[in-house]
Amino acid sequence: MTAPTIGLPRLIRPSRTRLGAAGRSWALWTGASLLALLILTAIVATFWTPYPPTASGVGLLQDAPSLAHPFGTDGLGSDVLSRTMAAAKTDVSITVLVVLMALVVGTVWGSLAGFFGGAFDYITMRILELLNSFPSLLLAVLVIAVAGSGIANVIFVVAVLPLPDYVRLARAEIRSKKEYQFAEAARLVGRGPFGVLFAHLVPNSLRPLLTYASVNASYVASTVGALGFLGLGIQPGSAEWGSMIAQGQDAILSGQWWISGFPGLAIFLLAAAFHLISDAIADLRDQGSAA
Amino acid sequence: MVALAPPRSRPAPGRAIRLGRAVRGPVLRIIGAFVVIVAIVSITFLVSRVFTADPINLFVGDSATEATRQQARAQLGLDAPLIVQYLRFLGGLATGNFGTSYLSGEAVGPELFGRLPATVELGLYAVIVGLVFGIIVGVAAAVFRGTVLDAVLRFFTTGTLALPQFWIGLMLLWIFFVNLHLLPGPTGRLPIGMESPPTITGLYVPDALLHGDFATAVAAVKQLVLPVITLSVGSFGPVARQVRSAMVESLDSEYVRTAKAMGISRPRIWFGYALKPGLLSVLTIGAGLIGWTLAGSVLVEGIFGWPGIGQLAITAIQSSDYPVIQGFVLYVATLYVVIWALLELVYVRVDPRRSA
Repeated sequence: MTAPTIGLPRLIRPSRTRLGAAGRSWALWTGASLLALLILTAIVATFWTPYPPTASGVGLLQDAPSLAHPFGTDGLGSDVLSRTMAAAKTDVSITVLVVLMALVVGTVWGSLAGFFGGAFDYITMRILELLNSFPSLLLAVLVIAVAGSGIANVIFVVAVLPLPDYVRLARAEIRSKKEYQFAEAARLVGRGPFGVLFAHLVPNSLRPLLTYASVNASYVASTVGALGFLGLGIQPGSAEWGSMIAQGQDAILSGQWWISGFPGLAIFLLAAAFHLISDAIADLRDQGSAA
Repeated sequence: MVALAPPRSRPAPGRAIRLGRAVRGPVLRIIGAFVVIVAIVSITFLVSRVFTADPINLFVGDSATEATRQQARAQLGLDAPLIVQYLRFLGGLATGNFGTSYLSGEAVGPELFGRLPATVELGLYAVIVGLVFGIIVGVAAAVFRGTVLDAVLRFFTTGTLALPQFWIGLMLLWIFFVNLHLLPGPTGRLPIGMESPPTITGLYVPDALLHGDFATAVAAVKQLVLPVITLSVGSFGPVARQVRSAMVESLDSEYVRTAKAMGISRPRIWFGYALKPGLLSVLTIGAGLIGWTLAGSVLVEGIFGWPGIGQLAITAIQSSDYPVIQGFVLYVATLYVVIWALLELVYVRVDPRRSA
């Protein structure tokens, strides 16, 4: 039995097809560097931003981008660059946290359902059907509308939405792998059911889950932005990309594009980074099955 | 997603059993769909009553005395125990009474139905545009896979998947309305001051055309361009991806090789034969398409001042107008469940493997 086949060294190994390989490493490196850049911005913004992000009147009102304010200023005279940087902290950390939560909970839940089957599995499937019968962004909007906004609620709701997909993926993987010989071997050397499941089956089922997690991350980034845009996400006042876009909405009609423009670009970059990474992982899987 | 049923290898059933299954299947579906709708509506009802701030504040203001509050509660039926409120609510739904909006005092049912045509007109065109362009781009990317064109299209598709929809709408307004003056601003379905055409279908463009009123039709189309593009972005990307990956597979298959050997023209092979599995795979994300379009319409209608259901829902959500929220939930749940059921039916029709 080989070790679990996850990890960067394999992702970037040279491949046999020409354009495919070039495209793959391009996607991976662009995605990874974009993500690194955004995380770096979030870290830097914790210690330093050009102006205080929540202070108003550090420049003129709705001033166009200039050397003093590279991203311009908003309707309260706050510096858009500082606010966009500070918002990276909020949006990037929420996105990462949400995806980690959904990935861990979904994997454990789906693995247990797939491994043990029975009544637990049946109930799981019925819950998934119920969750799937409603468009997810609307569900998020409604739950937050009735449960109240705030970071904790946003994280919880946005993490619950993709849960059915994680559970389903993990369940299918475990079901197809639990009769494999490596699982049998683990059982024969005296591993208990949980040992077989979490030490052998789950690590060997992670790749499709990670591919999905990466796509999911880009949707999470847009959903968090959309909730903020609707005024349902983070409390007003603290910087968040979606709510910044909403603040600049009216100014756009009089020509001040930068107030909404830059935070929107930031959401785009975050979502695109995860899309590129997931493309690269998915291609790797295709290649793995072809080789 | 519509999951593909695993191939079953049991003996062919007799005619009576087959008939029984043919009847039982749809009946079970309808019962199941009904249960799902009731469950969703009940959950929203309970969640909205248990977790939220007292809606009575919408009516009486912060400085009202406790006595006025009690009186208002009694008038609205909010003083009854939760279970009674719930049963009243279900009873109302059964008789077609959706309640009255806290905000406008209008009945929710007529208000929702009055706004339906605007949402349908926008959503329908957006789904069509998204499907058509998604299929064309998916086919082109698959046929020219590995080339620069494929890379460019892939870049473009990924871009639309990653761009936040509401932001695209705003930027399109900035470009085409504010800077280029090519298209009208966010004033809804018609420019301010223009009369809506007499209702036949409720959709302005066909209505105006049926009355021979070309000026109104053109104005309505112009109003539609930006919101339709914005909304269609949500369905374009997933469709293009599905079609591309299904087409790549079918282009390598033996029946396509045979068709080539028979000398059938390339466009006919691409669109007539190789595309078919791609279209099937689009069907499997059909429910998702409707979901994205619905969710998108909540965002897009707000941006473009579109007087549809999405805009109503957002106002209701932002002001805790529960009867309207519940009406909206019921509308979405019903639509969604019906679409799922229809897709199942279509799927069985076009893919005989499914009905075996």
